[in-house]
Amino acid sequence: MAEFVNLYLVNGIVLGCVYGLGAIGITMIFGILRFGHFAHGDMMTSGAYIALALVWASGLPVLWVLPLAMVLTAALGAGVHWAFYRPLGTGTHSTIIIVIASFGVALMLRSAVQLFFGVDIVTYKRGFQTPILVFDTIRVLPRHLWIIGLTVVLVAALHLFLKHSRLGKAMRAMSDNPALARISGVGTTRVVIAAWVIGGALAAAGGVFLGIDTQLSSQMGWNLILPMFAAAVLGGIGNPIGAALGALVVGVAEELVTYPWFGDPLISPAYKSAVSFAILVGLLIWRPTGLTRGRVF
Amino acid sequence: MTPLLDARGLFAGYGGLDILRGCNLTVAPREMVVIVGPNGAGKSTAMKALFGLVKIRDGRVTFNAADITNARPESLAPRGLAYVPQEGNVFATMTVEENLDMGAYTRRGGIAEAKARIFDLLPALALKRRHAAGELSGGQRQMVAIGRALMMEPKLLMLDEPSAGLSPKVLTEILDAIAAINAAGVAILMVEQNAKAALAIAHRGYVLAGGTNRFEGPGPELLANREVAASFLGG
Repeated sequence: MAEFVNLYLVNGIVLGCVYGLGAIGITMIFGILRFGHFAHGDMMTSGAYIALALVWASGLPVLWVLPLAMVLTAALGAGVHWAFYRPLGTGTHSTIIIVIASFGVALMLRSAVQLFFGVDIVTYKRGFQTPILVFDTIRVLPRHLWIIGLTVVLVAALHLFLKHSRLGKAMRAMSDNPALARISGVGTTRVVIAAWVIGGALAAAGGVFLGIDTQLSSQMGWNLILPMFAAAVLGGIGNPIGAALGALVVGVAEELVTYPWFGDPLISPAYKSAVSFAILVGLLIWRPTGLTRGRVF
Repeated sequence: MTPLLDARGLFAGYGGLDILRGCNLTVAPREMVVIVGPNGAGKSTAMKALFGLVKIRDGRVTFNAADITNARPESLAPRGLAYVPQEGNVFATMTVEENLDMGAYTRRGGIAEAKARIFDLLPALALKRRHAAGELSGGQRQMVAIGRALMMEPKLLMLDEPSAGLSPKVLTEILDAIAAINAAGVAILMVEQNAKAALAIAHRGYVLAGGTNRFEGPGPELLANREVAASFLGG
């Protein structure tokens, strides 16, 4: 039991937090701009490396520079939209063109990271942490508590924003019914910028958390794309809180299939990304609206 | 009296094909005007063109003496023009109350009072305020759509087939609600398939066919007109 919680469940939840912070941006951008943003993983990489640069420059622990890294990555998101997607005419019939453009942006962001930081694996901090012991048997690493705690705070703040603020409601309205949102007086620009700012900020948090949990590499975000899309579809596309919950399911499922349920690990850890692939394929066949109420485009 | 809404010689359509061909529409303050006509006459296109959702190729629209030809749709609600489209006229994933909040998006202050007035006018909504609009019946959804449009206290409410898909009993309720809104001083421009029921409560009607005006006049007069009845109102 203790081993199950310590080595599998907690890791799965932490992974779910990382996926969730990225999947929220993907689902929001899909809901409001109607395209799959394949550069989102590399935006997470960018956020993680922006935080690394800030750590190097300031000498502060990474969690201290996280807010600034989130702000800068939010600006990066809005800037990428302004420079690459908007000129192609988002919201018109050219969705596939913008999807392809997002692959190009993914390559550019990754190459920029490699150009400035090299291709070697780096970490925010050397040394290792001693686990905190709970009830004598459950060991949780402090960094895992930070990741889970901060993710809960960020998702709760997002939920309150979407539920109660004027701009948050306008974002949900634009995602639900763009024509009616405009008829009601919602200007598209504000909502689109808000989606990029929120998506970018949370992407930075997700990238930094992954870097804290493991290490940083220029491929780190790209490898998250599949599980994040699975999470976004699982939560009902266009539904940010659903995406966060979907990510938790995907993250935990990926870890639990490697648990030795019957003596041997069910699946070798090397194949665990097959889980999100299976979830995605299964959902698209049997339940394309996701588990919660989402919409199909 | 100067008209509230004045559309002159509208040409508009989709992809190079004009559906409206020289259509004229006017609505005076506090007036209720109904547009009837056969399928494909351009009734819905006229509504969309007035609201900036279909590009006007030629012609001019003024509202409250200001030119609103091809205005951005989001700029019209603050001017006092509201529109309830025929389809997709509620935010299905949002609650009834949130739909009303969206109606007041560009409003500053007085939102709670406006909401209270709408719940007074459409009491069925008050009971469902925390329900998702997509879960409501067709008639209730239409009430939500109208409620959302009224949140800005518009001078003119445009309705595209408010009775579509509703039972005769619910149709009567909706038309009664619309008559009450008009009696409270809101001008109405309504497209309606149920020509007889709609013309009976309207001050004036237009018969549109082939994208242009065929007949116009007071509601009872159009109903009594044999030619109109034979050609457009199903005998």
